[in-house]
Amino acid sequence: MHILLIEDDTEAARFLVKGLRESGYSVDHAADGRDGLIRATEGHFDLVVTDRMLPHVDGLAIIQIMRQKGITTPVLVLSALGSVDDRVKGLKAGGDDYLTKPFAFVELLARIEALSRRRSSVPDATKLKVADLDFDLLARRVTRGGREIELTARELKLLEFLMRRAGQVVTRTMLLEGVWDLHFDPQSNLIDVHISRLRQAIDRGSDRQLIHTIRGSGYVLRTED
Amino acid sequence: MIRRAIFNTTAFRLSVGYMFLVTLAVAVTLGSAYLLTDGLITDEVDVIIDTELKSLQDRYARTGIPGVTDEINLRIDSWGRIGAVYMLVDSNFERIAGNVTHWPFDTLPAETRPEFEIATIEPGRRAVHPVRAAVRTLPGGDHLLVGTDISQGRRFAEKFRIAMLWGIGLTSLAAALTGFWFSYRLSRRVGDVTGTCKRILAGELGRRLPVAGANDEFDALATSVNDVLDRLEDQARTLRATFDSAAHDLRAPLHRLRTRMDALLLRLPPLEPAVHESIESALREVDHIQRTLAILLQIALAESGAPLASPAAVDVGELATELAELFEPVVRDRGLTLVDEEDTGAIVQGNRQLLAQLVTNLIENCLKYVPTGGRIDLSVKRLTDSVCLVVSDDGPGVPADDRMRAVQPFVRIGQSGRPDSSGLGLSLVSAIARLHRARLTLENNEPGLRVVVELPLK
Repeated sequence: MHILLIEDDTEAARFLVKGLRESGYSVDHAADGRDGLIRATEGHFDLVVTDRMLPHVDGLAIIQIMRQKGITTPVLVLSALGSVDDRVKGLKAGGDDYLTKPFAFVELLARIEALSRRRSSVPDATKLKVADLDFDLLARRVTRGGREIELTARELKLLEFLMRRAGQVVTRTMLLEGVWDLHFDPQSNLIDVHISRLRQAIDRGSDRQLIHTIRGSGYVLRTED
Repeated sequence: MIRRAIFNTTAFRLSVGYMFLVTLAVAVTLGSAYLLTDGLITDEVDVIIDTELKSLQDRYARTGIPGVTDEINLRIDSWGRIGAVYMLVDSNFERIAGNVTHWPFDTLPAETRPEFEIATIEPGRRAVHPVRAAVRTLPGGDHLLVGTDISQGRRFAEKFRIAMLWGIGLTSLAAALTGFWFSYRLSRRVGDVTGTCKRILAGELGRRLPVAGANDEFDALATSVNDVLDRLEDQARTLRATFDSAAHDLRAPLHRLRTRMDALLLRLPPLEPAVHESIESALREVDHIQRTLAILLQIALAESGAPLASPAAVDVGELATELAELFEPVVRDRGLTLVDEEDTGAIVQGNRQLLAQLVTNLIENCLKYVPTGGRIDLSVKRLTDSVCLVVSDDGPGVPADDRMRAVQPFVRIGQSGRPDSSGLGLSLVSAIARLHRARLTLENNEPGLRVVVELPLK
């Protein structure tokens, strides 16, 4: 997994590169927009992480040029501009995800993981299966070990989101964005409460827990503990 | 309606007044000219009649009836003035001389200047002429009448009157037309100005008042207003740039700080649990600062007057339902109940994220202040020209005096505010409402607080 990080804040970049390498990624770093653009269009990366405000060439311009050249590599935009329309502009320009600075490193890791796996996942599957948990996407029916589980429409959406990312850490922010389409941070522990309800419905009466809490980052749906 | 009815404009009212004044002035001028001329003509006629009477009376005094008769006949035949009427009758009103066949009155007329009509035979037609006359009784008991055919004067007066009426009519018509044209032009130009101003207020900051190029006072006004608008737009842009760089310059160091602390947490071998714990708590503080900063920037941006960026149709009812469902478990955990009631088709132009944030803040505000056992009501109603979003609770409420203050940044009402609350929740609600040109009111829910956000449909 080869990542290009375009970030002009050298100190922040140093820590990010270090953290990503420690997490098992190979990382190239470009310190300005021009260098970043050359590398992004000439090199072969699995993912590009770019700051938005960069010297010489703006982060959004890099994405636009990449897309014009037919490069479909997923791009994660990091930005110190956090208003709602900044985000919309970032995604309109062709970015795949948008993260406002400052962010938790685990948030970045979770997003990178989600973006890198998105290419290999099968989007038009009609059935999802994790261990003995089955989700019939067409009938919107969920069974655990053959036993049917009653879920609300929103719980189904939440479960689908987790099952599509089985084995990946999913943060609260990702759930708010992906399941509820909310791009801000409510102060209440909304997601925890919804997950614990879902967990009760899914894991109750089963000796193997599927939904796990990852302390300090989020949740993961997986077979192993 | 952008353009007001033309009758309802200052220009129209002024031109109606102007029309009346002009018509009145013309009527007075022509009317007095008419009266004066008419009087003058009559006076002249009377002077001639009196002079002739006098000379005929003198003649009578000198020569008696035969002399007067001669004189009358002479005047009739030779040099008599045009339209002169003479008649001499005896005491029984039998004709002695004159160019009239019969005495035109029954007896002696009572008026000093009697008027009557005579018929004349002119070639081809019979005409009736008005005559103004004077009668003197001679010492012998005969009566002498001298008159003047005043039909010419009458005709002149009649022509004068018709001309005068036409004049008045045409003048007032012209005044009315000019007035209407003026008011139309004025109201159109004023309408352009108000229309453009409304569009600018609605967020089309780049719009400017039209300058017709006529170099008139309207162009001068438009140019001045446009200069003001240029400056405002410039300020808004500068402000936006300032916010952006402030956001960037504050977030970048926060980001470095956070990244460094994150790196410490991920270090191998792991830190001592106590150190780990304190770094985590420091991280929470960083996140709190970041959140406060984001909200402050959002408020500042909204209050700067910058328009809502790229508004889209938002179904407020649907959004409220989704948020009610999102909050329901948390609300229940706190021992509260959430009741929501939404109309369908409550769609406004706005930003879904900001409106969601608004509702979220209002619900979270209730969560903060309403004690266990309380109830939160969320409702969205579609009114004729607005969508009314109401979040009410039966908690402690906000005293009337504090309600205005409650929406100001960093104001916490009462002691029940939690120490971790920023005091920015309601001010962000107020800022988002302002961005959507919505009216925000805090009311007494008897008991509790009732927050009403009225979003305009257009």
